[in-house]
Amino acid sequence: MTAASPGRPAASLPILLTGLASAALLDGGGDLVLPREMRGTPVEWGGVMGQCVRLASAWRFGLRAHEIDASLPATRLEGAPVPGGWRTRHAFEGIDLVHEVAAVSSVPGVVRTLRASTAAGDPVDLSVTSSFVPVLSPVLVEGIQPHRFEVTTSRDALRVRQREWGLSVRSSRPPDRLLVNRGSWLGGERRGRVEEIGTEYSLRVAPDAPASLSVLVFGGLDRDLDGFDGAAREVIADPAGAARAVAADDRAWTDRTPRLSFPEAPELERGYALARDALRRLYSAPGDGMTGLVAGYPWYSALWCRDLGWMLEALAWLGDLEWMQRSIDTVVRFQCRTSLPILGGEAGELPMQISPGPIFLYGTSDTTLYYPRLMDRWRRHSGAVELPERWPAALGRMLEWAQARADPATGLLRNGGEAEEIAVATGDVARIRYGIDAPDTTIWDSADRRSHAVDVQVLWWEALRAIADLEGSAPSRPGPAACRALADRVAASLRDLYPWPEEQYLYDSLRDGRGVAQIRPNALRATRAGLLPPPLARAIVARAVRDDLTAPWGVRTLSARDPTYDPTAYHEGQVWTIATAWLADAALEVGEPELGVEVLGRIARLLADERAGANECFRGDRPEPYDSCFLLGFSVAPFLATLFEGLWGLRVDARVGELTVRPRFPDGWRSARLERLRVGPGSVDLAWSPGRLAVRWTGPGILRVDAGAAPGTVAAGASTEVAVAPTHMPS
Amino acid sequence: MRGHRSVGILSLLRQAISLGADFGARSVESLLSVAEMVEQSVVEPGSLRRTPDGLSLALDNPPLRVGAFSKVRILVDGEAIPSERVSLRTGEGTPWRTAATVTPGWTFDLGPGDRTEIRIVTSAGGRAGPVRVRVELVPLAIPPLVWVEVRETPSEPPGAP
Repeated sequence: MTAASPGRPAASLPILLTGLASAALLDGGGDLVLPREMRGTPVEWGGVMGQCVRLASAWRFGLRAHEIDASLPATRLEGAPVPGGWRTRHAFEGIDLVHEVAAVSSVPGVVRTLRASTAAGDPVDLSVTSSFVPVLSPVLVEGIQPHRFEVTTSRDALRVRQREWGLSVRSSRPPDRLLVNRGSWLGGERRGRVEEIGTEYSLRVAPDAPASLSVLVFGGLDRDLDGFDGAAREVIADPAGAARAVAADDRAWTDRTPRLSFPEAPELERGYALARDALRRLYSAPGDGMTGLVAGYPWYSALWCRDLGWMLEALAWLGDLEWMQRSIDTVVRFQCRTSLPILGGEAGELPMQISPGPIFLYGTSDTTLYYPRLMDRWRRHSGAVELPERWPAALGRMLEWAQARADPATGLLRNGGEAEEIAVATGDVARIRYGIDAPDTTIWDSADRRSHAVDVQVLWWEALRAIADLEGSAPSRPGPAACRALADRVAASLRDLYPWPEEQYLYDSLRDGRGVAQIRPNALRATRAGLLPPPLARAIVARAVRDDLTAPWGVRTLSARDPTYDPTAYHEGQVWTIATAWLADAALEVGEPELGVEVLGRIARLLADERAGANECFRGDRPEPYDSCFLLGFSVAPFLATLFEGLWGLRVDARVGELTVRPRFPDGWRSARLERLRVGPGSVDLAWSPGRLAVRWTGPGILRVDAGAAPGTVAAGASTEVAVAPTHMPS
Repeated sequence: MRGHRSVGILSLLRQAISLGADFGARSVESLLSVAEMVEQSVVEPGSLRRTPDGLSLALDNPPLRVGAFSKVRILVDGEAIPSERVSLRTGEGTPWRTAATVTPGWTFDLGPGDRTEIRIVTSAGGRAGPVRVRVELVPLAIPPLVWVEVRETPSEPPGAP
């Protein structure tokens, strides 16, 4: 028999719980199930991740009492977040059940606890069956679900292994029965096809004797599992304590980040808080000495280094320079040293993605270009005199990699052919070959944007300037002056070759010496960088906001007027929030603060609607997520960075104790505040009112503040006020 | 061809040595594990068989991408097989459909772990020696096609002499 549901429907939005090496994905109904549309088809994404490995899918608790069976969701009364976890309440056969789930940080796993009590009556025998589908596949291997596993039991654990990946199941009481593929199993060792693994527990619940059960699933790299034994026992002994520890770490991190106040735009304040919290969920230290932020959930939960680049920009403003440094260290550690076509790598190139193993892969045209700028930014925000040990040599190799791809005549960087190398490299030796026919790999990596995509040139220009600015820290060849000269050549080529007069826009790319006539948002990056004459920069923003590129819910990856536009195609028409942030940033840069704030407000409203989720992308023809991770760093980090850099107009150089402030606030604004902005070893509070900026500096040393009118200085522990120039309006 | 293959193997060996030297032996182990997992988890080992009118093949997982596919194309030894001569189903007991019916309006959907059985009507099934079968799928959501190619000698159908 199956009990009918007496409860409310499960929450409609996905619930994500994370520790630094773990994640729980659920729908809020009680079990770890989360069916999501992915690439046009439903895929079950609920379950457990550890060390960037998908461990288990569809982890369910089944209940049995008085010979009646029920699923946990069928008995649900209500659900709500608790510190570090998610709690649901259930009622079943006179038993009150409280179920809590948490992703913990001390082991790469997820713990579930069920507490059962009854107010009156005879004792009830409750049977709980925990079952899940084993996966044990690195998240980066999309869509592969192995079917064959090795399952073993020991005195206090059940273990599942698939090649070098493994998981362990531990519980607060021994199971009465083991199940494999829904049939009883006596334990020991079993190899072969496994579709489901279960453990069954008996609990006696009486009015004066509540009962509880905790089950922990953790894992990732099989070789690391034994090392987590002690921590796993502690989690089982105190699961609520493990959840509270995650919440306490989150709270401590949040308390160190800046506070923003925009009385005229409270939705931006709320958006800032939501985006910051969402970014925190992506923090990852998955093992193997790696640190970073995963790109998103559910299917991009590995360190994707391009995505990480965008997130580290935001981290600089949030003041977490230690995490930023360790993240850059992680990426640099996997810089390609010699040509590795089998991984799509060229000497000097930084990886596209990394996860424990280590598993890493190269083959993008742009990832490497983000990191000189990030290193420069880290140095300016931290005030460090020297770069960390590995960085100078890595910079030199990055520069050599890029120069080998640069056109000698124009200085422009070539993109294209990166993924083809992998198939060619394995073509003659493998019995089975695979491939994706992606001719190039820019940020829109399913679109053919060969051979000189405009945003890649902007990144190249920024990388060259950063390397030049790093001066003594950078390698001597070709030297700062030569880097600046090459940057100037790239900028000149961009100004000469990309303008598209008929559209008052920029070509999206150059191919065979001609402009690729496609309207994409990537041109906005050149506007933001200040590379273009102001009239053209303003014209580009004006063109971008027209309704073929910009929908009310965000900016499309390709104009709806383009013959190849497809509203459901990932990079050929879908709306991406990162592109919407680019529009806001560019609008602020060209002196259109009302437009910039209005666009930022659209992102903030999306964040509020999604309750701290941040969808990756939406259909181009209606505001509906499609083929979209429900949380992507791309959708929160550029928004965060734009609040500081675009809206407040901040630039930090802690090496010389200087803060530049060029607020781009709309005309009607009367005040704005920013507290706890990290500048090197100190922090600064800013309070803006029209024409004035109050500054409080914790020190050490003296801070010079330039707000565009009359720069001032402020001593450690003191306050001052400086005049603010009117919003910059390029002519 | 044989020499070309040796050069390929030597190149891979050189790369594996570089990988191990630069990033440690575990990087080589991990690469091999992933490669082996992908190789063994997608094309069901031994599933390429001769049939009375051609060939059959089974996939245990979608190749590289999951999702809704708007087009399926099969090539045998480089020759495209007319789509009405290719039949697909997602496992025993599910109905067969021809590749000609796979369109953006009626996609062929594959989730993680989903099986695909493929029957190909082709004279290549009667040839001796290895054949190369290439399966191409065009995802609805991410247009560039994904493909998997297997090159081996098909096994004989059950009951064949």
